[in-house]
Amino acid sequence: MKPGRIVIVILLIWSLGPLAWQLYTSFCTDQALVMPFASHDQRWTLAHYQSVLTSNPPFTRYLFNSLFAGVLSTILTLLLAIPAGYCLSKLGKRSALVIKCLLIGCALFPYVLLFLALLEIARFLQLGNSLIALAIPYAALSQPLAVLLLASAFSDLPSELEDAARVEGLTILQRFRWILLPLISPAIASTAILVFLFSWNEYPIALTWISDSDKLTLPVAMARIAGSSIHSVPYGPYAAATVIGSIPLILLVMIFQKPIVSGLTTGAVKG
Amino acid sequence: MLWIRSRSIKLVMAITTLIATGLFGLSVLARQADQVSILMPAPFADSTAELVKTFNREHRGRIHLNVIRGPMETEAISDLAISSLLLGDTPFDALLMDVTWVPKYAKAGWLEPLDGYFSDDEVNALASGASEGNHYQGSLLRWPLVADIGLLYWRTDLMDEPPRTPEELTNISRNLQNSGRIPYGYVWQGRQYEGLSCVYLEMIEGFGGEWLTPETGRIGLDQAPGIAATRWLDGLIEAGISPRAVTNFNESEALQSFKSGQAAFMRNWPYAWAELQKNDSAVKNKVGITTMVAQTGEKPAATLGSWGLSLLRGSARPESTVEAFKFLTSEDSQRYLYTNFGYTPTQNAVFKDQKLLKNHPSLASIGEALSYARSRPETPLYAQVSDVLQRKLSSTLTGMTSPTAGMEQAERSTEQVLDAAGGTP
Amino acid sequence: MLMLLIPSLLFLIAVFALPLIRYGWLSFHADSVMTGLIAIPNQGANWQRFIHDSRYWQDLLQTLRFALVSVTAEVILGLAIALILNQPLRKRALIRSSSLIPWALPTTVMALGWRWIFNTPYGPVDRLVQSGLGHSLNALGEPSLAWITTVYADVWKTTPFVALILLAGLQTIPSDLYEAAKLEGAGPWICLRRITIPLLLPYLGLALMFRLAQAFGVFDLVQVMTGGGPASSTESIALYAYWNAMRFLDFGYSATIMIASFVILSSLIAIAWFVISMARKRSVGALAE
Repeated sequence: MKPGRIVIVILLIWSLGPLAWQLYTSFCTDQALVMPFASHDQRWTLAHYQSVLTSNPPFTRYLFNSLFAGVLSTILTLLLAIPAGYCLSKLGKRSALVIKCLLIGCALFPYVLLFLALLEIARFLQLGNSLIALAIPYAALSQPLAVLLLASAFSDLPSELEDAARVEGLTILQRFRWILLPLISPAIASTAILVFLFSWNEYPIALTWISDSDKLTLPVAMARIAGSSIHSVPYGPYAAATVIGSIPLILLVMIFQKPIVSGLTTGAVKG
Repeated sequence: MLWIRSRSIKLVMAITTLIATGLFGLSVLARQADQVSILMPAPFADSTAELVKTFNREHRGRIHLNVIRGPMETEAISDLAISSLLLGDTPFDALLMDVTWVPKYAKAGWLEPLDGYFSDDEVNALASGASEGNHYQGSLLRWPLVADIGLLYWRTDLMDEPPRTPEELTNISRNLQNSGRIPYGYVWQGRQYEGLSCVYLEMIEGFGGEWLTPETGRIGLDQAPGIAATRWLDGLIEAGISPRAVTNFNESEALQSFKSGQAAFMRNWPYAWAELQKNDSAVKNKVGITTMVAQTGEKPAATLGSWGLSLLRGSARPESTVEAFKFLTSEDSQRYLYTNFGYTPTQNAVFKDQKLLKNHPSLASIGEALSYARSRPETPLYAQVSDVLQRKLSSTLTGMTSPTAGMEQAERSTEQVLDAAGGTP
Repeated sequence: MLMLLIPSLLFLIAVFALPLIRYGWLSFHADSVMTGLIAIPNQGANWQRFIHDSRYWQDLLQTLRFALVSVTAEVILGLAIALILNQPLRKRALIRSSSLIPWALPTTVMALGWRWIFNTPYGPVDRLVQSGLGHSLNALGEPSLAWITTVYADVWKTTPFVALILLAGLQTIPSDLYEAAKLEGAGPWICLRRITIPLLLPYLGLALMFRLAQAFGVFDLVQVMTGGGPASSTESIALYAYWNAMRFLDFGYSATIMIASFVILSSLIAIAWFVISMARKRSVGALAE
């Protein structure tokens, strides 16, 4: 098993190395960053974290904005995709295939190309600088993945369950509430988490729809910080921002890795 | 009875007046000072910090000026502003604008005309040349803070007089190089970026041509002067008067080369002067400045690269903002900025200030060059037009296209850009 | 019943179909700061400009170079990682989630990190190169090298995604096939070539097409890590389209670029799909032997 062990270690170093380096950088003084690896008394500092957390607006605000937009988008996506997925799972094979192909096509689409039309919509309908309005394009862009995942979850359910419920006289809403949704809850969890991840990480649309520095989501805020180099070696604060910005996601992945993985693999298998 | 009544009336009136005055006084103190915000690139925000403090002290209670420190990179400032303006938001009252942005912002309707805020006297007090690049379609839209022009730096220890024509420059360089006194003749900015457009503007105008006249849509790149200018620049590299590396030079590389004594001539902005007088400069006290060379009979051209303050439409406090403008560009402020940071002044009076001239004799040459300031084409489509020129010019200078072909392609591409965007009158 | 599908469908059409139609229409109009951001027909002048726009064609080549190299690297590395993760491991969940972290981070967050890691002269990569080769690498400043750093950053981020898809595929391969092959004396390489890869083809194909399409639209990474530089060597078509709208205020031309890029991408995906189906047909035949 020894060679296998080494490979695992290499894999971990490769995956986590860059982040670890940022963590290390974030605690180094500017001097330590510029001078070679020679030893220093003045090596460690918390100043970068201080400057990032006490800036105007504080960095935590961006985390909150992303959280807000993410939760809203996820809810809206599920509201739209659950009925659609159910419907898709009930369609005949032919039409279902056509729609599935269309959805896969949409999923493949590099959505950055949509920024201009969405910008025009934002200007026309005055939807700019609103985290609530941002949920609309996010939910729309998440539809393909969400509908595909939920449709496959619905079609995995044995039809007798629902038939029995229908015979018992339950309305469709009741069937959803008591039978269908509880049964596909793992799929809902996977979809929710994947949609949340998508909206948390989304950049081009947030970039064009939000300009007010108080309302920026995390990726846009980081890009702005990146563009605002006013020091010669600003990488200390950058690293601190990277670490703070990564923590929520690392936690998310660690806690929810099962639904994430199952969501992606189901998508792959059924796709 | 009457006596008591008149006394009480007087008392009541006195007390009422006292209370009224007190309330009025309190209300004056309690009135919120006007908050004025200006977005500036970080270097300018830093250099004007002291001025801002003074302004806020003098206007305490009435106006509070807050300079927002933006990114260092020029384009990033514009990107920041545009992303808000496109969404219909005016996040600050004013913006420190590069001269090439004015037509674009003006045409988009984002700038408030300043004609009503500045008297004719104030406008006439500007040094000639500094008033370039502040108007669009007749309106005054930007009040200059710092004026920059392209200058020809020459080595006073290697020649008595600077060259006046391109041919003279070439000949002097060749002689100096052949006699082994200097490795290179002329260093300039030849990299594919905005600096190259600035260099080219000076040459095409020096050869008697023009790049682009937005009002008529006439493009002069493929005319005789345009091709001649390109051919001359290309020839410098071919003949070894300029090093091959010049096709990758920006301002700091050209400065580095000239500062270490590698070249007889350099094209750069006024800031380079202070650098060349530092102790680590190999050419300290051996440098003169003058206008760029031009053909006999043509006026020399100095590309204008100024920064100025513009009022954004939608600002809630236009008058206070303009007051801040006037303070930041006053004679005293300009003297401060020039002596501490080397920023070229824009007020005529500063150029004539005898004390200043005594301590900084180069100011006179800069003032003279300023009078020859030429603006890059004042079109909202300038960025694209400049990009086209940079690409074609760069491909010519690196030997991939001939000067004629390069300029003809540039002409065609420029036409296509103007056509496609609806910019052809 | 079909009614349930409609809200979702409406959102989809609004966000995918309508923009493309709008771009197509807009590309035949001048819609720029010159027209006050109002669309005015211009008889195909945008397309005239587009065909001769050397900047676009250069960006297209650069984007294709980026996409093809990253996707190839990702598929190879992804397969390797999937094979590793398919083994019975202690703390498998922990290892899996650790390797998933790069994919979960926002691109712009780590793009800054990469700028530092490749920074000349203070970043770790450059310091290593300096101590090894004696001179600086200037990875981010050299046009010939900068694009490679963006490829590396992209590979780092999206390989876990590819690995997961391939892992899903690996887990559908019945182990008896491998046992049978071993009995016949087949070594690990033969197993890989004759069993694993042919059976993985649908998943490889999916991952390939997905990643190709995403890499074609690379934007976040390039904008934050290199700003399109140095000397526009890392500029992608998405970035160029973005700047045409947001910097040059020429919406009409930006739309032209995007609709043309969409058409080019669709053709590429169609070709890729065709090639993969051909490969599948052939491998099914080979497996039957």
